[in-house]
Amino acid sequence: MIKLIGALMIIGASTMIGLYRAKAYAERPRQIRQLIHAVNRLATEIGYGSTPLPDALGKLAQQMQRPLDRMFQEAAERLGRERNATVRQVWQETVDRYWGLTAMKAPEKEAFIELGSTLGVSDRDNQLKFLELAKSQLQHEEAAAREEQVRFEKLSRTLGVLGGALIVILIY
Amino acid sequence: MNFDINAIFQIAGIGIITAMIHTVLKQMGKEDMAHWATVIGFVVVMFMVIRLLDQLFQEIRTIFLFQ
Repeated sequence: MIKLIGALMIIGASTMIGLYRAKAYAERPRQIRQLIHAVNRLATEIGYGSTPLPDALGKLAQQMQRPLDRMFQEAAERLGRERNATVRQVWQETVDRYWGLTAMKAPEKEAFIELGSTLGVSDRDNQLKFLELAKSQLQHEEAAAREEQVRFEKLSRTLGVLGGALIVILIY
Repeated sequence: MNFDINAIFQIAGIGIITAMIHTVLKQMGKEDMAHWATVIGFVVVMFMVIRLLDQLFQEIRTIFLFQ
């Protein structure tokens, strides 16, 4: 009886791990898409509104969803508070801190940090060009992430269940 | 006797699950991983069979050679 309960618990746990990994694969393109939206809005704020960067980031944070909004919120607060830190430094530290909470990986992080080091250091046209560049990089990553999702989402779900069954049979 | 039947079923189960993992991995285009999964399953089953064979030889030795 206890053996059976233990077996069920192992299978349940490994199924959960599989589902969790599948969810990460499903979440990644969605979050990259959000980043692209954020870059678009930032371009609008800079190009048409000439909004100061902390205010623009704060506005963005209100429109973002769960793990990303805190990243933008913190970047906005730190930019408003720390007068002699550079945007690049603050951006990099904030992204580093919150990236682990998201489902995104290294390539889009590179592109996003790259964007941060160009914000607020040149004139409007130049910044808009860099935003455009970041956008195209992120779109590229989104396509790659979508392809990965198709391939690996179902795979990790199945492998979770099967791996649990294998462990149970091995130690039964 | 009872133990032997259990071991056979266990080996059969491992075979089935390994085959399924192989199929799934191959379908998703990870053929190298699929082969590794098969090899690992094979090695595990091999260990179990070797343990059983070892038992068998020990029995034979106790019966025929050393009383």
